[in-house]
Amino acid sequence: MSSLLRDLRLLGIAFVYELRKVTAWRAGFVVRELMRSMWRPLVMIFVYRAMLLEPDARLGGYDFPGLVGYLILAASFEKLLFHQRGLDLADQIFQGYVTKYLTMPVRFFVLALARFVQHIAVQGFVLAVLWILGWLLLPQWWPQPHSAAAALSALTLVLLGSYCAFLVCFVVNVLAFWLDVIWTLSAMASFVFSFAAGVLVPVSIMPEWLAGTLRWMFPYWAVSAPVELFLGRLDPSALSHGVAVLLAWIVALELVRELAWRRGLGRHVGAGV
Amino acid sequence: MRDNGRVSDEVLIEMRAACKRFRTWKRKEGVRGFFANFLAREWQTVSALEGIDLTIRRGEFVGLIGANGAGKTTLLKCVSGITPVSAGSASMFGCDSFELRDEHKRRLSMVMGQRSQLWWDLPAIDSFRLLREIYPVPREVFERRVAESAERLGVADKLQRQLRNLSLGERMKMEIVGAFLHEPDVVFLDEPTIGLDLVSRETIRRHLVELNRSRGVTIVLTSHDMEDIEETCRRLVILRQGRMLFDGALVDLMARVYDRRAIEVHLEPHSAGWEEALAPLLEPFSAKLERSAPLSLLFSVPASAVQRFVPFLFERFAIRDLAIERHPLDMLIRQIFQERGPGAGAAP
Ligand SMILES: Nc1ncnc2c1ncn2[C@@H]1O[C@H](COP(=O)(O)OP(=O)(O)O)[C@@H](O)[C@H]1O
Ligand SMILES: [Mg+2]
Repeated sequence: MSSLLRDLRLLGIAFVYELRKVTAWRAGFVVRELMRSMWRPLVMIFVYRAMLLEPDARLGGYDFPGLVGYLILAASFEKLLFHQRGLDLADQIFQGYVTKYLTMPVRFFVLALARFVQHIAVQGFVLAVLWILGWLLLPQWWPQPHSAAAALSALTLVLLGSYCAFLVCFVVNVLAFWLDVIWTLSAMASFVFSFAAGVLVPVSIMPEWLAGTLRWMFPYWAVSAPVELFLGRLDPSALSHGVAVLLAWIVALELVRELAWRRGLGRHVGAGV
Repeated sequence: MRDNGRVSDEVLIEMRAACKRFRTWKRKEGVRGFFANFLAREWQTVSALEGIDLTIRRGEFVGLIGANGAGKTTLLKCVSGITPVSAGSASMFGCDSFELRDEHKRRLSMVMGQRSQLWWDLPAIDSFRLLREIYPVPREVFERRVAESAERLGVADKLQRQLRNLSLGERMKMEIVGAFLHEPDVVFLDEPTIGLDLVSRETIRRHLVELNRSRGVTIVLTSHDMEDIEETCRRLVILRQGRMLFDGALVDLMARVYDRRAIEVHLEPHSAGWEEALAPLLEPFSAKLERSAPLSLLFSVPASAVQRFVPFLFERFAIRDLAIERHPLDMLIRQIFQERGPGAGAAP
């Protein structure tokens, strides 16, 4: 119990430290962070416009304004998802910065977790600003939540999904104890991820065999499903299904994380000569 | 209360037949090499530590010396649990080093000369605050300790400055302040004086000796500079190619071999150099030729013979320059190595 309290305390302090680091960013970083995951949806808007030129043209139940709403929401939720660039753990392992923590009474994972909390805090703030602007400037295009409950369930799923993404990032990074191709791996992972999440194309309009498979994966429940819940296109009962799938993923990933970290340390030779 | 500066019987660190081997692979160049790196890696095993037996008790100040690559850092990493030993055992506080729990880690500290234990992008004081939370140290105690040791090391006015903007010496002093904040029982310092100026070295040495004496902190310090060791440690461990060559009291060693001097002679160009026939002439002085090049000679002589030996040199050779120094480390090690016989420390 007291060790949990200590971990929480450390998490709080490390979070403040991460926040200070991130807010000390230069302007270029801030702009890049704002723009991240924005340009692909913009391109898709034009693609969908071209596909749906007829006034009543529809794509798997979506008309053109519906798809624009989907893209805005998906891009927003994707911003909340933890991503590879938020965790430079592989570099820390390669360059030996983790070494110093090994003689300190800390659980290294708590420090990494502070990154996750920082990510959610910063992106949450950015999104709040973006959505207020969106509702003010583009009221006819900006998506409205089906109900307060729908918005809340969507956010729950996104946060759980983001934690899954964080765990995947952590595990991929820990492979740096064995491999030196982490960047290739994580680029591949993020490509698969954004497809399976339905960031650009709603999973519900994909062929049924594919959509059926993706419904077992956590990315679907992290983006595509929350968007449709938010818009009222998915039955509210989907929430419990989604939470169950995500929790199962979290348990499995936690086990893998613990194992990989333990095994990795056994191979670790420490920095410095 | 800890007894002041005395060594107690309590064993804090123990290594038994400890070995550490690193497995590395040779990276091949070119297109064929690229595939070979994936398909048929050429593995090599580097043996960094071989059969180390070491027992360190509470209150000791142990100096670990050896040339570059002798295995000093590896020994510290194995003992402190950063990396597991490949064979044998390493333990601290009676617990396997690689399995140390938080309550053990709170009793130790590590300072690496080549790598910062503090946070690079924070002012030192902020790093210390993080450490205060990690180890937990009560606030008032913490404030007092930071103020005291920063004052003593002469860096009190640099606490607010980002670590990356400090000089090497200032940074090292901050590392030392940080390492002692939680009053650890054992502190490892890996080459803490590397690259520092004389004054900083002296300050750091004095600080460490003081902490060892007044608080009974057990300190293990590595260096490849004999002077560091001589001025701080009571016990000396010499490593050579991963094996232990010597482990004993520094005074014993100094009495045996450290009363020698190294005399380096530079000869005038075109003058007569060293010849084998001259060897018997060295005997009356108990002198030894350590190294000879056409225009420079290096002798090792007992300190007591220097006064007679130098005039002899001037008589024999056309000397342009002559320097007398205390026995440098590499000569000392070679000497011990020769005494022990070729079997003692040779690679298998
Ligand atoms: N991570 C590593 N991988 C492979 N070889 C290593 C590694 N670390 C150290 N070594 C080798 O082990 C030996 C001892 O190194 P080290 O302990 O750093 O020596 P020292 O600190 O005495 O200079 C050296 O030969 C070094 O090349
Ligand atoms: Mg070293």
